[in-house]
Amino acid sequence: MEPASTLPTLLMWAWLLPLISFVAILFFGKHMGPHGKGAAYLATVAIVGAGLLSFTALFGVWLPNHPLADAAHASDPLHGNHGIPDDSHNGSHSDAPTSAGKHAHRAYHGATDGGALRNTQRDAQLALNIQPVALLAEHGSLAEHGSLNDSQAHANNKTPPYYNGDFYTLAAFGPLKLSIGYYIDSLTVAMFCMVALIASCVHFYAIGYMHDELHEFTDSEVTLADGQPLKRPGRYHRFFQYLSLFCFSMFGIVIAGNMAMVFVFWELVGICSYFLIGFYIERKTASTAANKAFIVNRVGDFGMLIGMMALWSSLGTFSFGDTKDADGKFTERGIFSLLRTAENDYHLKPAGDMAFEGHRIMPTDSDGEVQSGDSDNRAGQWLLLVAGVGIFCGCVGKSAQFPLHVWLPDAMEGPTPVSALVHSATMVAAGVYLAGRFFPVFSPEVLLVIAYTGCITLVIAATIAITATDIKRVLAYSTVSQLGYMMLALGLGGWVAGMFHLFTHAFFKSLLFMCSGSVIHGVHTNDMTEMGGLRKKMPVTAYTMLVGCLAIIGAGIPLSTIGFSGYYSKDAIIEQAFSFADLNPVHWPLKWAPVAGALITAFYMFRLWYMTFAGKPRNQHRYDHAHESPRVMTLPLVVLAVFALGIGWTVPGTSLKVTNLLEQSRPVGTLATTHGELLPSLVLPDEHRSHEWEFRKPAGIAAFATAALGLLLATVVYLWRFLNPDELKQRFRSIHAVFWNKWWFDEIYGALIVAPGLLLAKWITKFDLGIIDSIIHGTAATCKGGAKVVDAVLDRTLVDGSANGMARGTWDLGLWLRKIQTGSLRQYVMLLVISTVLLFAAASYLQQIIPGQ
Amino acid sequence: MEGIYWPSVFFLLFGGIACAFAVAVLFSKNIVRMAFYLVISLAATAGLFFLAGADFVGAMQLMIYVGGTLVLLVFGVMLTSQERFVEMKSDAGDWVIGIFAGGALLVVLIWAAFSIPAWQGMDAAEANAVAVKKTVTPIAMGLLGFRVDAPDRSGYFFPFEIVSVHLLVVLVGAAYLARAKRKTTSANLATGD
Amino acid sequence: MPYFPLANILTEPVGAAHYVVVGAILFTCGVLCMATKRNALGILMGIELVLNGANLNFIAFGSRYLRNDANTLGLDGQLVALFVIVLAAAEAAVALAIVLNFYNNHDSIDVDRADQLHG
Repeated sequence: MEPASTLPTLLMWAWLLPLISFVAILFFGKHMGPHGKGAAYLATVAIVGAGLLSFTALFGVWLPNHPLADAAHASDPLHGNHGIPDDSHNGSHSDAPTSAGKHAHRAYHGATDGGALRNTQRDAQLALNIQPVALLAEHGSLAEHGSLNDSQAHANNKTPPYYNGDFYTLAAFGPLKLSIGYYIDSLTVAMFCMVALIASCVHFYAIGYMHDELHEFTDSEVTLADGQPLKRPGRYHRFFQYLSLFCFSMFGIVIAGNMAMVFVFWELVGICSYFLIGFYIERKTASTAANKAFIVNRVGDFGMLIGMMALWSSLGTFSFGDTKDADGKFTERGIFSLLRTAENDYHLKPAGDMAFEGHRIMPTDSDGEVQSGDSDNRAGQWLLLVAGVGIFCGCVGKSAQFPLHVWLPDAMEGPTPVSALVHSATMVAAGVYLAGRFFPVFSPEVLLVIAYTGCITLVIAATIAITATDIKRVLAYSTVSQLGYMMLALGLGGWVAGMFHLFTHAFFKSLLFMCSGSVIHGVHTNDMTEMGGLRKKMPVTAYTMLVGCLAIIGAGIPLSTIGFSGYYSKDAIIEQAFSFADLNPVHWPLKWAPVAGALITAFYMFRLWYMTFAGKPRNQHRYDHAHESPRVMTLPLVVLAVFALGIGWTVPGTSLKVTNLLEQSRPVGTLATTHGELLPSLVLPDEHRSHEWEFRKPAGIAAFATAALGLLLATVVYLWRFLNPDELKQRFRSIHAVFWNKWWFDEIYGALIVAPGLLLAKWITKFDLGIIDSIIHGTAATCKGGAKVVDAVLDRTLVDGSANGMARGTWDLGLWLRKIQTGSLRQYVMLLVISTVLLFAAASYLQQIIPGQ
Repeated sequence: MEGIYWPSVFFLLFGGIACAFAVAVLFSKNIVRMAFYLVISLAATAGLFFLAGADFVGAMQLMIYVGGTLVLLVFGVMLTSQERFVEMKSDAGDWVIGIFAGGALLVVLIWAAFSIPAWQGMDAAEANAVAVKKTVTPIAMGLLGFRVDAPDRSGYFFPFEIVSVHLLVVLVGAAYLARAKRKTTSANLATGD
Repeated sequence: MPYFPLANILTEPVGAAHYVVVGAILFTCGVLCMATKRNALGILMGIELVLNGANLNFIAFGSRYLRNDANTLGLDGQLVALFVIVLAAAEAAVALAIVLNFYNNHDSIDVDRADQLHG
């Protein structure tokens, strides 16, 4: 299996299957089976097929060609010993590659066998039919570095193995090339598997959840003018149509080989979320929420456009990866290798012409000369800051970060399967994924911005989640908070930690949402104050949700490797925060915010679980009618619960685990301690440093302690009821008001942006009506009057007069001439004779009077 | 009678006859007599053609004009000769205007004829020296496109063809126009004023 | 040059001018016929006279006996005269047909009654 040809083909079909399903449902959805039920099966088959292809790509192609190593140990020999027993310590240094397919892996780890690598690449390229370029590393410089690696302390990491190329080139305008391309590394493959797996579960779940839409649907939340609830035809097939498009768009972002393609699918994801959030379009709240999500995302996308333009105008390419010809020569460099060249030891340096662009935009430096590779290229650094913050703005919008987080809770208006998908694998994941993809482009200053954004987000969202009573809103704010964790991890330099949390969170958050959907399906309300004791009525939902709750709070045995999936990822983030704060003591909030967040997370998650499933029923009527969901809905819950439990584990006897897979695509040049150029005091630590016992111990203890404390608090308040929550609410009512009102973000935005906007619109309307309209009407009246004058004076007298006069003259002449026309033949002959004579006379007379004759 | 140049005498004879009977045609009121006078005038013209050396044209004049056209005219006269049409008088005013205008035209034409010296004629010796040439064959050759009399001039084959077609069309048209029609329409059309 | 055209007409050959005079007289008579006759056949006869006058001019101008310089013309004058004769015959046939048609329709050959085309 040649990965360079099979990987793109497999993933392309995995990507296109949902599109095929979308198109088929779009045209034939209404005729698919009874009430469009076939549409659901088609969409489900498509996404399951995509999942099968993705897993084939992962286990059949990627892993055989790129064996996993415990990269944290392998690529950095100095940190080989952590003092912690680690079952995955059988690093790949001893992996003697025997098959040709393993050469790539060897090269990646600094093998000096450049010839073998060349052969591999040539074989790969010969086998390709879709212009792919297999770029594993720059083997020329790799050979040198490989030998130096053992002696040098902080050699930076190389370009990770990846395959890129173009499926189809849309257009090329000089240096600007727009193409449907792919950039496939282990992150791409892993994302494909994750998205396809969760989306498959969501599809199965939705088959059961959306069955109301199969027949005529009575929307009790919409009251018509006559007081009757709205009745409308079911939209079952349309729901699955949007789901398919959603998955297609998300796959498109993941596989995208260039920024332009990312942007296209970015917007497609946006419009899909608009459709799905506004699925119950007749509800005022749903349509408002859809609009809100769309508009808020546009704000972020504007920044993203600025970032893309900054990068393109200075680098002249949209492409992520390098393009090579058949001989292995570079034909075109991608963004990453332009910004992190081998000459600079893969440190982020503004490219040479980027300095020129910097000159163009910024005032020149005092010396007036900025050379390529100059360490003091401040203008280029500023440009990088603009580009990085701009790209991050897009991620802020999509991933609902502060201050654009307001759309996500409102997005709960969509059907619950949509919430599960949006909140785990697709929409919000897209933002984090993009931040991870662009990680090599972000300078330390940009990362600091990202870190603080994530930090603020995670705290604010967690506090709001404490007081929310709508079960889905609690989960929504929890999502925002967890996304804040991911961004924080990325911003602190913990790339693997952040991306790992994206994966674990995707599984347990989709699980939690689908559980909540199951509860809503059973009791027909979102309000937790009407639930309680449902554990006995719906046990599968209750216990799978318990697994989800334990996963999200990061339950596990402290300082060990045994725990729920969240335990690994959240601990990694907190370790990174400790490592970062150790080097940058001034940024202490970044250290304690995730710890505090862990406490709050544990509290509100178990508050939710206790209020829903434990205790006594608060609303007997609803309790009596509650029922467990059908198997098509509970089965995905179980599957997801298994994953939520074990996605962080290592497969026994191998080094197969998610972090190792992610480590394979660690962005180039991010494994060295770097200093900020604009903020010299800022130090970005090497991520592997966080695995040292020195940070691991306090972080693990702090995480466990806070989570346990939060769990305890929740238990005390909501299960054992030692403390009455209403009394607490009364006692801390000022703080409660802040949290209950979501920090008044909606009100502040309403007052600061929406209201002035509406006011401005009103003024402009008045301006339009009063001034512009009057000007136009006045002009029209003037023109009309002028036209009347012109009509009376010019047209009627001059033009008409001359035309009529000519006509009358011709008429009169004709009347006069008709007298000559007597009709008498003899008169005519006589006239002929007389005129002949006269002609003769005239001719002879003229002959006499003309001189010279 | 010495010195009398006989062709001139014959010219005076034929020309006088032609002119006299043309004037008679003009002033005669009887249509049948007019036809008779016209025959004499045209025959005299044919004599003038012979005098000018155009023997073939003169023969044609006699055959076609006198023999053909005039017979046609006489047929017309006979077909329409009813009492009321035989003598139709014109207004005296028409005559006055006609005489004046025609006289003026005549004066102009005669004055023009004698104002060109080259048209005055040649000496008798010169005129006698002119070789007699037959014209029938050269005319026939000319109509067929070969000029034997003046080789540098163009032939008349194409006009001849056009005239042939023209004649055909004319005959068809004449037959069409002259065919009998029912009288019923004449009452309506005759009211036109 | 005081010149009287008929002074020695009996002793000298006549020229083209004399023929032209005869032609002019015929022409004038024909024109006056057309102008004064009310009978349609009379008008036809006038036309014949006009054509004859013209023909006489063609013959005279093309005759080698009447002009010194007529040799260059060859038989052109006679050929044209021949065409005129033929066309005159055709014209006579058509004109007679028109007259008969008019007579059939109007029961008259008075051209003064054929004035429907007056203005």
